[in-house]
Amino acid sequence: MRVFSRGCESRQAAYLAWADRPEAAERVALEAHAASCVECADALRYGRRMDVALRGAFAPIRERRTIIAPGRVRLAVGPRARAATNPWLRAPRFFGRLAEVSVMVGVTLFAVGSSMDFSTHQPASTSPRSSVPGSLHVQQPVGDIDYVRWFRLVKADVSSIVLDPTRLPFGGRFDYDPVEIVRDLGASPR
Amino acid sequence: MKTQRDPAAGDTRTDHDLVYAARDGDTIAFDALFYRYRDGIFRLGLAITKDPSAAEEIVVDTFARAHRALARLEPDDSLRPWLYRVAVNLSYNRRPRKGLILSSLDEAVDEALANEDGSPSHVAEQAELRRLVLGAVDELGPKHRLVVVLHYMNGLNLTEIAEVVDCPVGTVKSRLHYALRRLRTHLAAHPELGIEPSRPIMATELRVPKQITAAVPIEGE
Repeated sequence: MRVFSRGCESRQAAYLAWADRPEAAERVALEAHAASCVECADALRYGRRMDVALRGAFAPIRERRTIIAPGRVRLAVGPRARAATNPWLRAPRFFGRLAEVSVMVGVTLFAVGSSMDFSTHQPASTSPRSSVPGSLHVQQPVGDIDYVRWFRLVKADVSSIVLDPTRLPFGGRFDYDPVEIVRDLGASPR
Repeated sequence: MKTQRDPAAGDTRTDHDLVYAARDGDTIAFDALFYRYRDGIFRLGLAITKDPSAAEEIVVDTFARAHRALARLEPDDSLRPWLYRVAVNLSYNRRPRKGLILSSLDEAVDEALANEDGSPSHVAEQAELRRLVLGAVDELGPKHRLVVVLHYMNGLNLTEIAEVVDCPVGTVKSRLHYALRRLRTHLAAHPELGIEPSRPIMATELRVPKQITAAVPIEGE
């Protein structure tokens, strides 16, 4: 059976010797260890080269600057934050807003209250009755087709329905002459 | 590159003093904090988003958050870790703009390279080497790349990086170690950099433990 070793425990410290900047004593100890450890000597040598390469690669970006002014931050924050620092500046705005809300509520209550007319309510007995609720007192079938058939077959109690006379023409007759269909005159139209 | 003279750059007060002054309404103190850290945050945002406009917005958003949080901020020594942490979060949460083709990190150095002294061939050679290194950095995962950027570009030490990324220093060391080893593997393919691949870890034979020859007392004897 073969197992893979995890390497020297000091290898990480050797790699980071240039980034971590250990104290003098630690560094001397690390170099002394590297003298007898191939892995750590390799890590120390190439850690240095990597450090130089990375610092050189990032050097131009490190000099890059921006010309943003702090005024942009103030614009982004807005006047709200400045007012928040001083409570006295918030008081007039609060009372102004309170007055606005009071007027809004007053106008809404006036509009709603004036639109209500309680005298228009009629007694329920004079309203025309529908035959549908009476039909629905019977248990209806579950299926759609059965329900439609049942609904047509169930007859409402017609005697209890009060007809509204205003919906019919005067005298029970239509106010125009119904079209009479003349059938079988006995003669050809020709 | 010419540096712009900042009106608040000469402020020698500590971050702690500046935060307390800004809390009392001193806008010059807040401006001093802004000028002190805007370039670092801009570069950090640029390294993560690769978009200069987005990096500028990140600077503004970071300081806007700092302004809103002034009443809660209690910096012991430096405000930089707090600001950088906010900037990192904003950078990673920012979605790239539609239709924008993000450049590689190495393309951000073109402007600086144009101002570099030396023969054109030398400048081109240096640019190529930088491009190789930054291309390898681009291929790292986000956690490892962030540690590399914070250390080698923003100049933060490992303790400060640990504060920014909110993890123990040991984790930062481990990530940087891993990143350096990955970078070494990538860069070893380019002999002009003078970096060789790391030595393979050799498999070793498992040592069979010696047989126990001493007498073992048996229960009941």
